Amino acid sequence: MLRTLFAAIPLAAVMASPAVSGPSGDPAEVLEELIGSTSSYYLTQSEQNLMMMPDNPALWTIEEGEELFRTPRGPNNVSLEECDFGKGPGVVEGVFVELPRYFEDTGEVMDLGNRIIYCMTTLQGFTADDPEIKDIHGSNTDHMKLQTFIASQSNGMPWNNPLDHPLEIAMRDAGEAVFYRRAGPFDFNCAACHGEAGKRIRASVLPHSSNPKEWTKAISWPAFRVGQDNARSSQHRVRECIWQMRYPPIVAGSDLSIALLSYWTDLARGQPAIIPDMKR
Amino acid sequence: MFENKFRVAAAVAALTLAGTYAIAADVDYTAMTPQELAEYLIFEANGFKLDAQVQEESSARDRLVQDELQMVCTETRNNPSTEQAEAIRQAARDTIVYPEGDIVLGDWEKGRDLAWSGFGYRLEPNFDNHERSGPGANCYNCHEFAGDRQGGTIGPSLRNYGKLRASEEEEVSQAIYRLAYGIIYNAHSMFPCTRMPRQGAKGLLTQEQILDIMAYLFDPESPVNNE
Repeated sequence: MLRTLFAAIPLAAVMASPAVSGPSGDPAEVLEELIGSTSSYYLTQSEQNLMMMPDNPALWTIEEGEELFRTPRGPNNVSLEECDFGKGPGVVEGVFVELPRYFEDTGEVMDLGNRIIYCMTTLQGFTADDPEIKDIHGSNTDHMKLQTFIASQSNGMPWNNPLDHPLEIAMRDAGEAVFYRRAGPFDFNCAACHGEAGKRIRASVLPHSSNPKEWTKAISWPAFRVGQDNARSSQHRVRECIWQMRYPPIVAGSDLSIALLSYWTDLARGQPAIIPDMKR
Repeated sequence: MFENKFRVAAAVAALTLAGTYAIAADVDYTAMTPQELAEYLIFEANGFKLDAQVQEESSARDRLVQDELQMVCTETRNNPSTEQAEAIRQAARDTIVYPEGDIVLGDWEKGRDLAWSGFGYRLEPNFDNHERSGPGANCYNCHEFAGDRQGGTIGPSLRNYGKLRASEEEEVSQAIYRLAYGIIYNAHSMFPCTRMPRQGAKGLLTQEQILDIMAYLFDPESPVNNE
């Protein structure tokens, strides 16, 4: 797959129409600047992934996502350009680093995934059972294409999820409580792996939740997971942690998952998002 | 699973999930403490699949219900007061079931396999079938043992564990064996609010398996003591 990609990229660069944009700025540059500004085994552990970032397969996912975003779809045959991700209808630039946030129209704190579902449902007319709504994992799902495109328009921008509305504060604080709550057959909480600097699970260096410069890379999803050969979302990352912790499966998009994402985004506040990133 | 998110905006969704809406509408997240809201989100708001299939007799929901130890270590963020720490140590000591008579080391090769294995107790979406393979002990995730495989660093390195505890004249004493057995069985007996799982006390490992892992740690033939 990678060989095809390497061969295809120069061609794509030539053929790219002005309508199709990549991420806002170069994620590799964002990461390199971050690496230069601190000392972190976590940030530097995979030289290979760093080198491959210009050829990140998730860059294709962005292009596919933008096309999906702008194409009229669903029973109502409208595009997602009227969707409000927090900065007004159609605005995608800088919205992801300010999610999760409270939305007046639903009365809820929502993450990107839920907001996409909301717009696909209310604007485009998809229903909960449609694969466009239901299938949320994998580079080939509409979800990952749309998420990767929208999130990439926040590349290089500082995480800044609003904590103005009482619900935003409540969700962030509940997320912190969950992060430190010990449970399960192994007595784990999130802090068991992310509470100290420079620790490893086997060969993998873990990001420290109290170090925003590490944490920003940790939460920079969508990223292409080399070992899984797919672009993955924040919700997918949480799901895998929860699975390793031997907890029951977390429900993607549940308020519990949003609370965790509110807290983890707050932990990276002010540091630049790296999207799309590459991870092992 | 996302349906309840659109209860306000989408009339159709609200209709089909009227029950969900009614329950959720009564709840004011901002009136709860963070802990109360966390408990609510975990147990009442479809945060986890609480009825997922599990390997043990109990339920997925039960995995999330905190016991006394988990509660104290959560509240104190693993820094219990002196009194709490002593109570935890005492309670943990009471859980330990030692082998009858002297501790006799098991098979270090079996112990190594267990120490290496991270299999077991994981649920959906990739369920660990214990009938196909028994659960491992996950030791390598957090500890280093020998040079043949890179271990984690969340726990202390256990390289040369036995060698460092033996003298030239004598083998490792029963007292040291009992100490190590106790740590594997329930590490809170020594280190209150440690992050190490309670392998024996929670029934994750059998007595025989603990003795195999101890052989991996103490046996002079084991790679742990030969690198």
